[in-house]
Amino acid sequence: MSGYLEGVLALLCINTVLAYGAFLPMSAGQLNLGIAAFVAIGAYSSGYASNALGLNPILAALGGFAVAASVGWLVAFPILRTRGIYLALATFALNQVVQGTILNVDAVGGAAGYPVSAHVGFPVVAAFAIAVFALVAALFHTRFGISVTAVKDDERAADVMGLSVRGMQSAAFTVGAGLAGLAGALYAHYFNYIEVQNYGVLFSIYVMLYVLLGGTQTVYGPLLGAALFNLLPELLRGSAAWRYVIFACLIIAIMSLRPQGVLVKR
Amino acid sequence: MLEQQVVNGLMLGSVYALVAVAFTLAIGILNFLNFSIPGLFMVSGMLTWLLLRQAAPWPLAALGAVAAAGALSLLVERFTYRLMRTSEHFVPLVTSMAFLILLENLMLIGWGSDQQRVPVPFGSASAHLGPVIVSVPQLLGLGCAVLAVACMDFLLKKTRLGRGVRTIAEDAQLATLLGVPVERVVPLIFLFGGLFTGLAGFLFAVNYQQASPFMGEEVALKGISAMVVGGMGNIWGAILGGLLIGLVETFAIFGLGARAVDLCVYGALLAILFVRPTGLLGGVSRHQRM
Amino acid sequence: MRSVSLGFGGLKVLDALSFAVGSGERLALIGPNGAGKTTVFNILTGVYAPDAGQVLLDGADITRLASRFRIRRGLARTFQNIRLMPHLSVLENVMVAQYAHTPGWLGMLQPVGFGRANRWRAEARAALEAAGLGKYAAQLAGGLPYGVQKRIELVRALAARPRVLLLDEPAAGLNPAESEALHEALEAVARSGVTLVVVEHDMHFVERLCTRVVVLNFGCKIAEGAVAAVRGNPLVREAYLGSERDAA
Repeated sequence: MSGYLEGVLALLCINTVLAYGAFLPMSAGQLNLGIAAFVAIGAYSSGYASNALGLNPILAALGGFAVAASVGWLVAFPILRTRGIYLALATFALNQVVQGTILNVDAVGGAAGYPVSAHVGFPVVAAFAIAVFALVAALFHTRFGISVTAVKDDERAADVMGLSVRGMQSAAFTVGAGLAGLAGALYAHYFNYIEVQNYGVLFSIYVMLYVLLGGTQTVYGPLLGAALFNLLPELLRGSAAWRYVIFACLIIAIMSLRPQGVLVKR
Repeated sequence: MLEQQVVNGLMLGSVYALVAVAFTLAIGILNFLNFSIPGLFMVSGMLTWLLLRQAAPWPLAALGAVAAAGALSLLVERFTYRLMRTSEHFVPLVTSMAFLILLENLMLIGWGSDQQRVPVPFGSASAHLGPVIVSVPQLLGLGCAVLAVACMDFLLKKTRLGRGVRTIAEDAQLATLLGVPVERVVPLIFLFGGLFTGLAGFLFAVNYQQASPFMGEEVALKGISAMVVGGMGNIWGAILGGLLIGLVETFAIFGLGARAVDLCVYGALLAILFVRPTGLLGGVSRHQRM
Repeated sequence: MRSVSLGFGGLKVLDALSFAVGSGERLALIGPNGAGKTTVFNILTGVYAPDAGQVLLDGADITRLASRFRIRRGLARTFQNIRLMPHLSVLENVMVAQYAHTPGWLGMLQPVGFGRANRWRAEARAALEAAGLGKYAAQLAGGLPYGVQKRIELVRALAARPRVLLLDEPAAGLNPAESEALHEALEAVARSGVTLVVVEHDMHFVERLCTRVVVLNFGCKIAEGAVAAVRGNPLVREAYLGSERDAA
């Protein structure tokens, strides 16, 4: 496989993991505009673990998942007390704060970027992507899938019907954050260089948009969204900016015509 | 030295204030977080650079930039709010984000990612007020901002249009029943937001002599912080919030260095959201959709 | 429910209201519009917390118990304005209430997705079939006709196998045939030992199904007793006529 093609596929795998990271809170009805922050947390913590602590990169990646999930869990308590627009604003603020914080940590390079020495090969990245997809798909075939949609549709009624609304929202937010962290860790160890400037709110927006494009009603939507976002531009060639222009126009069109996304439940 | 920083902060704050007003109009009246506003800000700033680069007279540049932002805001309205009632509730927010991406990348394609230097048409006219140096254009900018908001306030409180707008803010469906011409008023609200943003973009470009495709992300996004700190839905809150954030930023750079800016500005936003989400001048928090 | 009071910002909705329901009984809760009947249900299910007073279930004080635990204790309800989950299928809507049997994380992770062989799916499907709604099982609940949705809500509430079932205007908007079917279904439920508390405006329906009536007006209990006795009660008549007069 050519180096370029492998890079594209690796990015697709990483973005698939990330897509599910964004999808989980969305399935419970929350928009996590701070997802880029969790990607950064995962990338930087795992990069530091393998660079400075000599940890095996795969373990470091799992560590990235754990760190991001822990931060997500801690943050979920205050953040999930907010609703709707306040939730969007709070996650947005969180994103910028995390980005601003990492910028100031010289131990991981600050504004200059952070090279990560340990490398994971494409098979590892692909394996993670497949595993994540399989696990999330399985998860949504349990009672969790029904319950989380119930919470998204009608919190009050779900509460009376016995579901723990806060519990489910926290779980979705936490695991989503963890997956975003895992994606960041994989990126850090495959491409071996990360820059905190990349993890701003625009990054979060891109992720959210391609997940919405694929459709959040089924568990296969995010996969389609990630594929469209990563592979379609390859077919179109053209500069990175043009790809984003087309992507943006596509989003505007889709939101006007079919806001549920490409894949819907029925 | 300290007084100079205060003045600098207030000058910067006037730009944030204008953007915050645009955000707060959309949230307060239409319940809609309009992520395209930073895009409009950027277009206005870049257009200012383009026009001044061609040696256009500065009033023309101002007019052009503001008008462009206003026109674009109407386009955004067509694809966001107009669809809000018929669609899922997140659609306008998402579409406004798409517009931000669209505008930023079109600009990148057209003129590259470099930060551009905006030729200053006023020379370096500055006044000395005691120990403090104030640039006259910046002072005029602050004056403009306050004047614009005062006019907006008058419009909202004293005119029939204003009453219609406030009814829409209460309950959009009720407004239609009461005979408010919603389909004409809503675009007008967007237009005002666009004009405020355009003015902010022009002022920033001219006062700080810089414009780039990323200026929306770097500058206007802080307007969200200003809006929330001052109180969502309150245009005087937007002025207050804008000035405060301008001060926060200036003092952050002064005391902690340029790297600490985002942390301080958005840290303030996060803090306010947890401690007093309605902001400094906000009233009782209403149920907010997106 | 003992001496329950509830006010919303100065407006007292329920004022020292008390009533009791015996096990296996069929109680009707009636009163003019705005009397506070749905509020009573909301307090019973924990949606609102009362300002004063207690709610007791089988002798246990559940006044401060969070809403989601009450269904696990055997208290289920249907809603006046149907609250099915529009993005779930009918079958899935029914299955939502099954969670009450398997609370906790392990219960949440129970597989339900794979084919008809799954026990939970089969149970839910059987319940729908028994109610004559089998053909709707795979459809999204959002687009179905009103009468059908009402029946689905009942199946959903019953899926939790409650001991006490609160029904908020179950007959509202149903045509006579549907109303009759509902009566039969509720008779069967009551015969199996479930206690029924029904809020209803349709007095004919109430007479046929319920043995005892509590009448509310402006948040206070104004009468209580057997259906016939209550019907003759002048206070009750005044309450209804009064409200008719206001409406006229």
